[in-house]
Amino acid sequence: MRIFRSLTDGIGFDLVLVGAAMAFLLAMAGLPLVYNVLMSFQQVDMFTLGSLVRPWAGLDNYRAVIAQPEFWLVMKNTGLFVVGSIAGQFTLGFALALFFHQKFPGSATIRGLFLVSWVMPGLVVGGIWSFILAGDYGVLNALLQGAGVIHAPVFWKSDPNLSIWAVIIANIWLGLAFNMLLLSVGLAAIPRDIYEAAELDGATAWARFRTITLPMMRSTIGAVLSLGLIGTLQQFDLFPAITEGGPANTSNVSQYWAWQMSFKLYDFARGATISVMMLVLVLVAAVVYVRSTRSEVRG
Amino acid sequence: MKKLLLALGVSVMAMAAQADPVKLVIWGLDGDNGLIPKLAKEFDDKNDDITVEFRAVAFDDLVNETLKAVATGNAPDMISLDNPDFAMFSSHGAMLDITDRVAKSQVIKPDSYYKGPWNSVMWDGKVYGVPKATNTIALFYNKDLFKKAGIANPPATWGELLDDARKLNDPANKVYGLTWSARANEEGTFQFLPWIQMSGGSFQKVNGEGAVKALDLWKTIIDEKLASQDVLSQGQWDSTGTFNAGNAAMAISGPWELNRMATDAKFDWGVTLLPTETAGGARSSAMGDFDWGIFATTKHPDEAFRMLEYFVSQSDRLFPEFSNIPARSDIALPSTGDARKDEALKVFQEQLKYAQPRGPHPQWAKISKAIYDAMQQALTGQTTAQQALDQAQATIDGILKG
Repeated sequence: MRIFRSLTDGIGFDLVLVGAAMAFLLAMAGLPLVYNVLMSFQQVDMFTLGSLVRPWAGLDNYRAVIAQPEFWLVMKNTGLFVVGSIAGQFTLGFALALFFHQKFPGSATIRGLFLVSWVMPGLVVGGIWSFILAGDYGVLNALLQGAGVIHAPVFWKSDPNLSIWAVIIANIWLGLAFNMLLLSVGLAAIPRDIYEAAELDGATAWARFRTITLPMMRSTIGAVLSLGLIGTLQQFDLFPAITEGGPANTSNVSQYWAWQMSFKLYDFARGATISVMMLVLVLVAAVVYVRSTRSEVRG
Repeated sequence: MKKLLLALGVSVMAMAAQADPVKLVIWGLDGDNGLIPKLAKEFDDKNDDITVEFRAVAFDDLVNETLKAVATGNAPDMISLDNPDFAMFSSHGAMLDITDRVAKSQVIKPDSYYKGPWNSVMWDGKVYGVPKATNTIALFYNKDLFKKAGIANPPATWGELLDDARKLNDPANKVYGLTWSARANEEGTFQFLPWIQMSGGSFQKVNGEGAVKALDLWKTIIDEKLASQDVLSQGQWDSTGTFNAGNAAMAISGPWELNRMATDAKFDWGVTLLPTETAGGARSSAMGDFDWGIFATTKHPDEAFRMLEYFVSQSDRLFPEFSNIPARSDIALPSTGDARKDEALKVFQEQLKYAQPRGPHPQWAKISKAIYDAMQQALTGQTTAQQALDQAQATIDGILKG
């Protein structure tokens, strides 16, 4: 009777809540993750695909992945894609957020329209950018040639020095609105009177931005950047739609490579291995992020 | 009374036998002009003892869905798979060995098939399937532009191809000499492997002198801007679209283009065999399309084989009804009513004699990636053709050994 009462009121009830949450987390996120990690240490073929117990491979899959001739190129591209995308999305998103913060007539409505890019599915966005970035008949080349910036078409998707940038440009456009939205919310939360006081003391616009806006936005910026990191590492749809990782893997990144390994080359163990490697990278980034925000709270 | 009961019992038994037909499940590509569902339904209607269930699977999901089904023991009875994927299943024992059944069959005659398609269903000397249809690639050319450039005949050798591309190239009018697909996927290998084979190589031996020469030729064509650099990211369908629009004087592609070209191209065009390395040199071409196979786990191998025989018996309908080219040399294609298309089909049927399968090898997808990666590395100038193909050879050697 007492146990039953504690279930509806008291510590028992808390335990039920925690247990339900943990069970859900374990089933939905934990098991696939563990399965993935397990698979990266096993030999997988057609007939063992559905079972848990498979021949042990030790670190063979990891050695094989690193020995692939394209491994370092893909790692470099992944780094470039993450840094380039986040830098672009964040800078432009922040600029737009500041712009719309000026509250001119219709600013809220126009800002809302920017969300269109965020609402569209990645594959559609990729398809559109694939047209825009086409070499001979692309819209961007026509514009640049019309403006006299370039004289011969630039082959965004087929030039090994540009292909990763073609995807980065599309990804910046895709993530711009989301960054702007979060940063706008952060801006709106800063009390107006701080700015007014600073203005009375004769602080310039740049000084106000540097000493008030940036410090007050610190947690928002941290959140935007870490969400940006997760978002870019998850970005997949643009790759099949624009470059397919080509030419010669110059726009291939780890998330697309992992998918290629598993579902195009049917090497499920190595596909899992690449995604486990990425997971470790993200975990390191997450720890760094959590540490930096923790010191902020203490300080 | 006894008699009546007996009669009743017999009729009940007869009904039970009738009410319990064998169910066959077949998977195949959706689209395909409705070939599989139509033939499957006909077979179902003609046989009271069998019902057939068809499941359409998208092209990109077909292999992955099949892998999952085989792994979990839920494979269908029969399937049609793209020919380079077939060996992955046959070599692992997932497909039923039908060597003896085919030998006894009155309908399926291996000799009537082109060599390339038939090789794609073989593994280790045994027969695991039957080619469903076939296709290949050859060289389309714009006869009007050839006349304008003063070229009498389409190119027959690699050297002539380059010369003609130079003569036909006309940047002022936005006309490239040639277009094809050197994309970073199976299509890229589909287009490049024939060139390796023409020069005496194969998928097991990709870094021979001729293969290097072919790749250098492709690179010259791109470097001299005789083709759009976007051949590196365009598929065959988009690439041939630029030919149809008059923006390329020659295009390498297959018979699936014919219907669209007949309506879209506002000029006179023709098809010729792929140019060879030297005059009268060895011919080769790519080989596409699907193979039928029965899964080893089927509970009804006899009925499934009957269905396969029915499909094969309808081969003469493949072209007129479904625009598929039969993989057999003993079936004449009826006239399409369009002289240019008929002429083109004759060339493609001639080219089919030299078409070679990709593989067969269980790890074909990896071999293919080694080939198209090397091709793209050389074409984008990141390494020389020799270095790129040497690296591909090392990767392929590793796969063949392992």
